[in-house]
Amino acid sequence: MMLIKLAWRNLWRNRKRSIITLTSIAIAVLLAVSMRSMQLGMYDNMIKNVVGSYVGYIQIHGRGYWEEQTLDNALQITPQLRDKVQSIPGVKHLIERIGTFSLGSRGDETKGVMVSGIRMEDERQMVDWDARLLKGELLPPGSEDILLAKGVARFFRADVGDTIVLIGQGYHGMSAAGKFRVGGIVDMKNPKINSVSVFLSLPVAQDYLSAKNVVTHLVIDKAENADEKQMLNRLTTALDTSKYEVMGWREMLPELEQTILADSVGGLLMVFILYMIITFGIFGTVLMMTQERIFELGIMMAIGMKRLKLILTLIYETIILTILGLLIGIALVLPIMYYYHVHPLQLGLDQAEVMEKFGFEATVPFLFNLQLPLTHALIIFIISLVIALYPVIRIWRLNPLEAMRSK
Amino acid sequence: MAVITTKEITKIYRQGDIEVHALNGVSIQFEKGEFTAIVGPSGSGKTTLLNAIGGLDTPTSGSVVIDGQDITRLNSNELIDFRLNNIGFVFQAYNLIPVLTAEENVSFIMLLQGVPASKRKQRACRLLEEVGLSEQLSRRPAQLSGGQQQRVAVARALASKPKFVLADEPTANLDSKSTGNLLDIMAKLSQEEGMTFIFSTHDQRVIDRAKRIITLEDGKIISDVTV
Repeated sequence: MMLIKLAWRNLWRNRKRSIITLTSIAIAVLLAVSMRSMQLGMYDNMIKNVVGSYVGYIQIHGRGYWEEQTLDNALQITPQLRDKVQSIPGVKHLIERIGTFSLGSRGDETKGVMVSGIRMEDERQMVDWDARLLKGELLPPGSEDILLAKGVARFFRADVGDTIVLIGQGYHGMSAAGKFRVGGIVDMKNPKINSVSVFLSLPVAQDYLSAKNVVTHLVIDKAENADEKQMLNRLTTALDTSKYEVMGWREMLPELEQTILADSVGGLLMVFILYMIITFGIFGTVLMMTQERIFELGIMMAIGMKRLKLILTLIYETIILTILGLLIGIALVLPIMYYYHVHPLQLGLDQAEVMEKFGFEATVPFLFNLQLPLTHALIIFIISLVIALYPVIRIWRLNPLEAMRSK
Repeated sequence: MAVITTKEITKIYRQGDIEVHALNGVSIQFEKGEFTAIVGPSGSGKTTLLNAIGGLDTPTSGSVVIDGQDITRLNSNELIDFRLNNIGFVFQAYNLIPVLTAEENVSFIMLLQGVPASKRKQRACRLLEEVGLSEQLSRRPAQLSGGQQQRVAVARALASKPKFVLADEPTANLDSKSTGNLLDIMAKLSQEEGMTFIFSTHDQRVIDRAKRIITLEDGKIISDVTV
């Protein structure tokens, strides 16, 4: 206890220097954590927008569907298949979809669209579709209407009540054609998806495509903390892989993972530079705290203080200084993380355009959790422990007589 | 019986190609309760002798036997322990720990010895009272005068109940009044508690109060007078 008291008082011998060091540690935490919180929050949002809300974390298709996305590679849903998939731990919801490209038309306008047959009551369990609805209604049970994504609606200048004609190819070479009333307009929160998507009720889509009891995608919504990799392994083991393919979002959307990875490297580099700056900051302080007290350390050894106790005192000084800086940093960054988590940053016009060009929403909600600041705090703490090796070595080699001559 | 015995100790420093003989075969004994001044011109070897006796410096040859133990054979960690339990130091520049109060400075040495907190406080207060600083217990060194700091240093030196106290030029930075006070305190402790005090000094006021005066020149004892 006395050593801690001694370390504490030693810290405040040079109040200005200690405050500067504390502030620099706190600012480093603030900058590093808020930067990473923004980046990770943005990635989470991208994944949620693209993966969680549409593609799904895991999909099951008929073997060969991903390579050649035609209805002919679709799969038959059987109760056994459903039971097997639902018995895998972590599977929260199982959503059936049929998807294909068709030509959409209204008046003089024609456009290729992605037709998805969905069961709205199932989809609603995965995503809040009500929040996406801009106009009309969301394919109520028995509805034969079509739901347009806002980009498609804009292209056709279509509104609720208008009619859209779809022409395409059905199952096993059948031709597909249908005329549908626009029942609603939705915002899919992703510019690319918004520009091509239209939705029909699953039975209506199956009827339009002459594909009764056939789906192209079995989308799996996972429980919040379920391990995606483990689920993939279990599903691959449980299912006959000569008939089915099981794919995670990383495999289905490699460009999304690469985009995140490339951007993340830049962020990590910035954090590394910050760490380097803080390392030299703390080291400078520890170096001065040790060097200017060599004489005093010599005296303490002369009167009978063991090296180990001297070393502990100086290590306590470094640790106290670092922990204080970290606590201040964490206390400052948590409210910022929380604020921008609840009120996401809206990107400026230029940046928003770039983001939307890549198919992402132009808002950046910060990631809010305790793990992120604690991880960075731990890294800085470990850095400070490494820095504390300097006084350890210095004291280990200290000759009290030479130290007392150093004044 | 002698508390300290040095046998033919020499200390040779190298300064480039030149060898400097700081101590040149010094053999001497100190008895319990002695009040001794080691005098001599600068460079005569006073401080080197004190450092050798205090286990701060290892002689090039010879031995320093304290209470039957040859301390020249101890390693640096054993020496730290030995100094803690056997020797009290008083330095020219007081060298108190600046962030501790007077009482804490005196207690600190007992803390290193593992003395329980209540006994530490009791002894520290008693020692500070003996050196006339019972009103300054909670003051830090910077809030004390030079004379007061040196009295705290004496209390600190005595706190560990050492076998002897080594004082290197203890009055060099003090005015006459403070010097007189300090010498009175040390003489009293020497008489009442049988404590052995060994000073290295140039100060005539200290020499006048010493019971034994050892004069060094060129690393050799040239006179050893008991007053």
